[in-house]
Amino acid sequence: MGWPEFGAIISGMSGIPVTSAQNRTILICSGKGGVGKTTLTANLGIALAKQGARTAVLDADFGLRNLDLLLGLENRIVYTAQEVLAGSCRLEQALVKHKQEPNLSLLPAGNPRMLEWLTPDDMKKIVGLLAEQFDYVLIDCPAGIEDGFKNAAAACREALVVTTPEVSAVRDADRVIGLLQTREIKPIQLVLNRVRPRMMANQEMLSVSDVTDILALPLLGLVLEDDQVIVSTNRGEPLTLNGTRSPAGQAYTNVARRLRGEEVPLTDPTKEGKSLRAKLGRLMHTKIF
Amino acid sequence: MAADFVPAARSGLPHQLMLPAQGPETAPVPEQVNHGLEGVIGSGALLLQSGDWLLTVTDLRALERQLAAHQLELVGVEGVQPLTLVAAAAIGLTTRLHLNAAAEPTPKPLASSDLVIQRGTLRSGDHLQVEGTALVLGDVNPGARVSAGGDVLVWGRLRGVAHAGCHGDSGARIVALQLRPLQLRIAEVIARGPEDSPPPGFCEQARLVDGLIRIDPAEPSWPPFSS
Repeated sequence: MGWPEFGAIISGMSGIPVTSAQNRTILICSGKGGVGKTTLTANLGIALAKQGARTAVLDADFGLRNLDLLLGLENRIVYTAQEVLAGSCRLEQALVKHKQEPNLSLLPAGNPRMLEWLTPDDMKKIVGLLAEQFDYVLIDCPAGIEDGFKNAAAACREALVVTTPEVSAVRDADRVIGLLQTREIKPIQLVLNRVRPRMMANQEMLSVSDVTDILALPLLGLVLEDDQVIVSTNRGEPLTLNGTRSPAGQAYTNVARRLRGEEVPLTDPTKEGKSLRAKLGRLMHTKIF
Repeated sequence: MAADFVPAARSGLPHQLMLPAQGPETAPVPEQVNHGLEGVIGSGALLLQSGDWLLTVTDLRALERQLAAHQLELVGVEGVQPLTLVAAAAIGLTTRLHLNAAAEPTPKPLASSDLVIQRGTLRSGDHLQVEGTALVLGDVNPGARVSAGGDVLVWGRLRGVAHAGCHGDSGARIVALQLRPLQLRIAEVIARGPEDSPPPGFCEQARLVDGLIRIDPAEPSWPPFSS
């Protein structure tokens, strides 16, 4: 691939034109690390792009950035938001268009070695630039509630809070929600990740209602624990990219559809995997050597 | 028991006559005064310390006549019984009301005057600190804290840490629609929250009983704003 393609991203935009009344800037955060922020950002970005929305994903976790890895775009990064702000390149040059899904672009926030440069105003400026060109701007927030979080939160109007059915993740999510609410970010919606129906049924894991009772947020999606997530991460191909039948991939696609306002019923984790079709499907996916 | 005659400490001050505290077997006032004034040949003004006795105008007139036999003149009445003082004032005596803490317990300061209302759920990491009484309209989530100088009232689920009477008021209470805190503190006492699930439909309160925190169904009088 040659670098000149960067300049052509806007003109090369294909797919169904989406006329959204307002572009949406959405923070994807969790407080606790390792609950699936980056995975959700990558999958949601791909799913939204596939549904025809012009989508940008911004990796605000630039100290430990790995959104580019999940999207398989690591080796294409030349410039970052840092250079855009410094005026040494145009935004179009820094945006990395996805290989298979041209509606999706990645903007890496910066060089991992330059942690100090970014301020909330910088972030607002960057997101403002992106919002001019895209329908959806997804911002992958770093873990924690320190400066990285504050920078990312300063630039967003909406938020998705990712949590897992664990006490520690729910506690941290609760803290983050409190902070988001003081910033008047809304709506704040919840994605419950890594749900294990069997453990929930045996009451070895917090139930969906336990989590929603505490966090008191509208539930945008339930994502089942799925080995394919690890496979897709290592390959750099989000699950939503190829329309796999994996439960997590479908859940991410449904999150994207609900985010766009479609009515998609939530999966009931207690019934998940018990139907005959699901069992057959699992059997067919099982590799027997 | 007899009334106690205290001669004036110096000239210009009145003598004093102290009536004993009322008990089940105390004699009527005239008898006591007779005993108390036995052998007293004073003269001049006398101040009656009536204590908690209820004396009518008639009683006071009779007393004046008794005192006159000893050349004493009743000039004033002091005590804690307001009606006695009213009667004394009616016949032209000076009066002074003694405030008696034991007989009339000062009412507990009402919480409503310094009530702080928190609208909305307290989330993990939040810490509500209030001088008076805290009323939370919402939940107190795990990881959140409420500290109040007075009571902590939660119109919702209390699942965090609550500290009532944080300046030492051991009469403070913690009341919640669902009381399942991580930790409860009242004044200096700390307790872990109960681990079993709460009885449905009961509002519960925690308070100090014999130095231990005890949880009961909340009293019907809650909230305690009406005196």
